[in-house]
Amino acid sequence: MQLLQLRQISFHYQTAAKPLFDDLDFTLNAGDCQMIHGHTGSGKSTLLKLILGVMERPFAGERHCAPQLCLGVVMQDPNVQLLRQTLGAEVAFALENLGVAATNMHAQVSQALRKVGLFISLETPIETLSLGQRYRLMIAAQLVLQPDILLLDEPWAQLDNQGVQELTVLLAQLQQSGMAIVIVEHHKRAFSSCVTHRWLLDAGQLHPYQENDAELEPALLGITGGRTKLNASAMQAPVIHAEPFKVGFSGQPLLFQSAALRLYPGEIVALTGDNGTGKSTLLKCLAGIQADVGNLGISVLNQRPKLGVYGHQLALLHQRPSRQLFESSVIEEMQFSLKRYGLPLERAPQMLARLGLSALASQSPHQLSYGQQHLVALASLACLQPQILLLDDPFAGLDSGFFCQVAKLILTLSEQGCAIVLASHRPLDLLPIDQVWHISDKRMQCFAGDGLTQNEAYSRVG
Amino acid sequence: MRPILVWVKQGKKQRHLVSADSHTAQHFIVKNPKLCALCILLSLCLSSCAFFVPNQYLPFIALFNGVLLLQGRYLGGGVKGLFLLFTTQLAITCALYLLLHGGERIDEAMLAVIRILLAIIPGWWLSITCAPQRIGEVLSWCMPHKWAFVMAACFSLLPRIGLEVKDTYQMQVMRGANITPKALCRPKHWGELIYCVLYPLLIQLLKLSKQMALAAKLRRFGVHHKPTHWPD
Amino acid sequence: MQNKGFTLHDALFIGFCATLLVALKGMLRLKLGLTGHSMFLMTFFYLICYGAVGKKGAITVCGVLAGLMAMMLSVGKGGPFIVLKFALPAAAMDLCLLVLPTVLALRWRCIILALVGTVAWASKGTIEDVLVGLSFEVVLLQLGKSLVFGSFFAILAALLVPPVLQRLRSHDLLDREEL
Repeated sequence: MQLLQLRQISFHYQTAAKPLFDDLDFTLNAGDCQMIHGHTGSGKSTLLKLILGVMERPFAGERHCAPQLCLGVVMQDPNVQLLRQTLGAEVAFALENLGVAATNMHAQVSQALRKVGLFISLETPIETLSLGQRYRLMIAAQLVLQPDILLLDEPWAQLDNQGVQELTVLLAQLQQSGMAIVIVEHHKRAFSSCVTHRWLLDAGQLHPYQENDAELEPALLGITGGRTKLNASAMQAPVIHAEPFKVGFSGQPLLFQSAALRLYPGEIVALTGDNGTGKSTLLKCLAGIQADVGNLGISVLNQRPKLGVYGHQLALLHQRPSRQLFESSVIEEMQFSLKRYGLPLERAPQMLARLGLSALASQSPHQLSYGQQHLVALASLACLQPQILLLDDPFAGLDSGFFCQVAKLILTLSEQGCAIVLASHRPLDLLPIDQVWHISDKRMQCFAGDGLTQNEAYSRVG
Repeated sequence: MRPILVWVKQGKKQRHLVSADSHTAQHFIVKNPKLCALCILLSLCLSSCAFFVPNQYLPFIALFNGVLLLQGRYLGGGVKGLFLLFTTQLAITCALYLLLHGGERIDEAMLAVIRILLAIIPGWWLSITCAPQRIGEVLSWCMPHKWAFVMAACFSLLPRIGLEVKDTYQMQVMRGANITPKALCRPKHWGELIYCVLYPLLIQLLKLSKQMALAAKLRRFGVHHKPTHWPD
Repeated sequence: MQNKGFTLHDALFIGFCATLLVALKGMLRLKLGLTGHSMFLMTFFYLICYGAVGKKGAITVCGVLAGLMAMMLSVGKGGPFIVLKFALPAAAMDLCLLVLPTVLALRWRCIILALVGTVAWASKGTIEDVLVGLSFEVVLLQLGKSLVFGSFFAILAALLVPPVLQRLRSHDLLDREEL
């Protein structure tokens, strides 16, 4: 049964040179699980808005949908959709708005939560849930409306591998019950077991997508193949060193304990572990900005980490780095720190030229695509040529093109002698790393990667 | 119609923003919203009395406030802030009286400062006995549904806003912004604080409010003229 | 200025501004600092609401919500009276907007609104001072001090608002054009 059809949709942002959609067609039937790939800025999220019928600006073309069609959506960051404080109240929000009697809510809420596999108390505060659980909670909050179509915006980037596995099982069940699912995703191999159609959104149209395994690797291998690592014997003192230590917030259970750490100039470390294991906390501890954690005995650049003591020698890129952008143009954004630290301002245009972003120099950073903003934020730190660069999930939400650019920048910095710690909730395939710091079961293990990719390093240690 | 029960159990993180002498969950002994409403009224009346009652009735008000002070203290509320406020006000007011009227009217100054203290104690007691969520629940009784929802959303957002403020501030300090407490002693750096921290936060709030409004609408917010409420 | 009621988006933005105002006030803990410092944050957020939402009553709603949040979180230790501290300057600003010509440059409108807000804020303190029985001379001196310091902080904030609004608009983050 056909649920929704988009016909000859054309749409053009006033500020853009090319139309975003140009005679785009899309049909969705009950039981479909359609996946839409596309580069950053290709219009995937706008297409979701179009399917939902919530476009703020006018478009040409037709949108037909079945009578009484009900749509549910889980956005890229499920946290922005959380409107209540407990599990039960969150799922019941839609029922409240439909005027369902309070006495009838309990059964419907419990049923929706059972479907997504959340068997915890309805009184559970949402803040105690992991990101994977929140994602499933948000699906339950949609299921309570018994939607015909469920739309998911880039779930792979948000979830760790276990979260993705759980979601794949759930999607298969929903699909079997006749629900249509649309997933917008730039990661090509995710959810492959339940996908019925794959599309590539390119040049304003949806094209059938043929998987091409060799799509990413050559580009990246081209970058990583020529990495010149600093000679270990020439290395001086480590930039980070610590004896075995324990990390935990005061008055709360231990987060994890770690073996001794040594990080030398030019080394790249992959700091891995599932969501919530303490990766971001460790990065903040290394930068000296984590509150509520006592002295861990870590020495960074020969002193105890503290906010503001390192100047431009240590830089930290937080998650969602677009948050740090505020200047009127990209070049001003890049020069902000250079001015403050009295460093040569020419580094900014040079860096932009190296990244192929010179054309954006005078543009507002807020009008850039997600990937471009990410790259500008990283480049503004890279300009400082720090001795240590801490990156919190730097590849989240980036398509293969931006992945390559970020990887290239990281490798260049490493060659210049910058020690880099990369936190990620999944192994960093394809990137050559020197050490792996892996957190699991409240323990952080450190082992050498010897310039191999992380998967190779893992297989080496068994 | 049932009250808008959007105010749920105490969230741990929210307490980070509860003023200088923050409290622990066991202080909030008033669990019943109706009792909480009574506490608000009592607090309002007592604070008003501190301003309006003639001098001869002031000892009764002081006695009542004394009881509240003892209970608040017994429940673990900090009195340091109150003491500091009282002594500062007393010092300033007495100094002004000495300057303008000499020493003969100093008792007038002391009485005025005592009245100010009596106006503040009930509010201090209210913050110790009633959880913010309960007060919010009472307030939502007299608010339109949309605004009650907004208040609840704001309240849920508090821990996140706190975290965002901190993250953004740290990010910009590490980027070299002149916004450390020492730098902010000079007003010429205040603009940098606005541009580096408040401005990115405003951008995020603008985007977030748009996304949340859309999320609420997609879950049928505003569809029914008489929405019901999840039994808390 | 439009006046078609607040959309949910407007309402949430006003609420979030009020929350950020209270959160910052709670975090900075400037309670015993300089007189009038609170006018800096209040003026800044109220004027941002005025500029970003562009509807009558936006400032008052922001003030009332900030007051209620402050009361709930006991920021400022004022109890129920803290609502007045936030709401009075906001209401005064909104009332002033009814008579303020829109042809006036935004910077001057912001400064006038900031001054009006300061007068309302200082008046609230003066009424309290009179009620607790302070002498006329002391009340007058306190009022003068509040007006001078309050105006200084309020004008400082008011001067920062137009460039911030301008930036928001140039970055395509504000839809409204009428300011």
